[in-house]
Amino acid sequence: MIATTENKLVLRCENIEVSYGAFKAVSNVSYEFTPGLLYGLIGPNGAGKTTLMNALSGRARLSNGRVFLNDQEITGKSPHARTWAGLGRSFQITQIFAEMTVFENLRLAAQAHRFRLQPFWKPVGKFREIAENAERVLAEIGLESFGHVNAGSLSHGDQRALEIGLALLSEPKVLLLDEPLAGVGHDVVEKAVGLIRRISQGRTVLLIEHNMDVVMEISDEIIVMLAGEILAAGNPETIRRDPRVRTAYLGEDE
Amino acid sequence: MNAHRLLALLVAVIVFVPLLLPDGQGIGLVNAILIWSIFAIGFDLVFGVAGMLSFGHAAFFGVGAYTLSLLTMRMGWDFLPALGAAGVIGGALALLFSYFAIRVSGLFFALLTLALSQLIYIMAGTKLRMLTGGVDGIAGVPRPELFGIDFYDDGNYYFFLLALFILALLISGLIRISPLGQALSAIKSNSVRAEQIGFNVQRLQRSVFTISGVYAGVSGGLLASLIFYVGPQMLHWTTSGDIVIMVLLGGMGTLFGPILGVAIFEIMREWLSTQTSHWYGILGLIFIVCTIGMPKGIAGLIIQIWNRILPGGKS
Repeated sequence: MIATTENKLVLRCENIEVSYGAFKAVSNVSYEFTPGLLYGLIGPNGAGKTTLMNALSGRARLSNGRVFLNDQEITGKSPHARTWAGLGRSFQITQIFAEMTVFENLRLAAQAHRFRLQPFWKPVGKFREIAENAERVLAEIGLESFGHVNAGSLSHGDQRALEIGLALLSEPKVLLLDEPLAGVGHDVVEKAVGLIRRISQGRTVLLIEHNMDVVMEISDEIIVMLAGEILAAGNPETIRRDPRVRTAYLGEDE
Repeated sequence: MNAHRLLALLVAVIVFVPLLLPDGQGIGLVNAILIWSIFAIGFDLVFGVAGMLSFGHAAFFGVGAYTLSLLTMRMGWDFLPALGAAGVIGGALALLFSYFAIRVSGLFFALLTLALSQLIYIMAGTKLRMLTGGVDGIAGVPRPELFGIDFYDDGNYYFFLLALFILALLISGLIRISPLGQALSAIKSNSVRAEQIGFNVQRLQRSVFTISGVYAGVSGGLLASLIFYVGPQMLHWTTSGDIVIMVLLGGMGTLFGPILGVAIFEIMREWLSTQTSHWYGILGLIFIVCTIGMPKGIAGLIIQIWNRILPGGKS
């Protein structure tokens, strides 16, 4: 396990706003993530959860506001620069190298993290450290026996695990997980939750998830979004009792 | 694995033809195939490996040819340093192009590279007439003088070209299996994910574009010396089109496929042009039929057939 015991990386955003034309997908969001905690990010569809994640990871252009890692401003930095700074993420729609094997997928993530400039004078197989890191994460996400299988032919649940594995190899201190359980069958949800729990050790995790039981169970803190803004934030018990949240979101289910 | 050895064998047969036939028959054709193959091998690093369709490679090819010609003929440089300079200038121009073109992707990238290379074509043909000889080009481009060997003899020049061809093939083969080549394949496969795991996508794309510019520059210089002439036609967009066709025909993304594509293309050009003056149109038709019939090119077809004959030896 690559959990770092001393994680002092603080992700913080100030007044961030993302707009598409006249539509404000995210507006006026400020938050400071305490290192080492697992944050559940919930809210109805279209609340701006994924857009917020895109804004934090550099995939969405901010129309206003700033993002910081510790005291270093990363607003406007590209996604790869943020990855190098310790901010990893997985995607809601699985983003893997489908025609490559599971091991090759992980090895790519390992070499991406190992080299600033990719060597061209030696076969990739000669870099033992890279292969070892890939093998280790392969075991960590429980896909040991699928190393030589094409990633595209994995089951959906295993692809979601690989998605997380790819993010892990950059040794992120802050990890953004966009619906890692989306479409995962009931029989494997428990396994996937176990994986999320394990990788959260020593990391700051922001998790978008629609399964309320899971979110309430594993989150240290919960952030509720509605119409692009943070409606409420607090520990699971506070959120569960918050009347605004009940009307806006939880109420729909009851 | 076996199918790939078969492809390697086919390539070996093609490039060793002058050694197999008496009196060095077909040597002129094979020399041209070797030179265009160096171009194609480099082009496929961008097209087949990194997945970027460039329509501007004629610029690097032609500029390499002019660089070698001008340095040897006007500046009195020796052949080898001038050939090196052709590669450097080809690569430098590619790097410059990439700063403009890599901002966009797909069709826009193809169109932007096309526009930039046509700019070079027009400059060489008219604006820089004093330097380039305008539409007449420059005749009398020399060949190397080394170890007292007469490279003006096509049979001797063949060995010089063969050595460079093998070097080009080895370097490309190494790049493909190196971390750099793997990273480029990752970008082709899924650029969003490649960026997110920490690859600097644009920088990697610029690097491979530059490397393939070096390949194009060197092969352009070599072609000028093979035919003792350089003209703006080498810079024309049809040259970019030819290299795309060759690589697609042979099999993009494979090490040996582009060479097979070059060989077929050159043999067809040689043969068809003696049959009819409409050979280019017929070549185009054949190409269209081929791309529909075998989307993975000749290399893909051969691998497919081989695996059907020998189901056990699936690669």
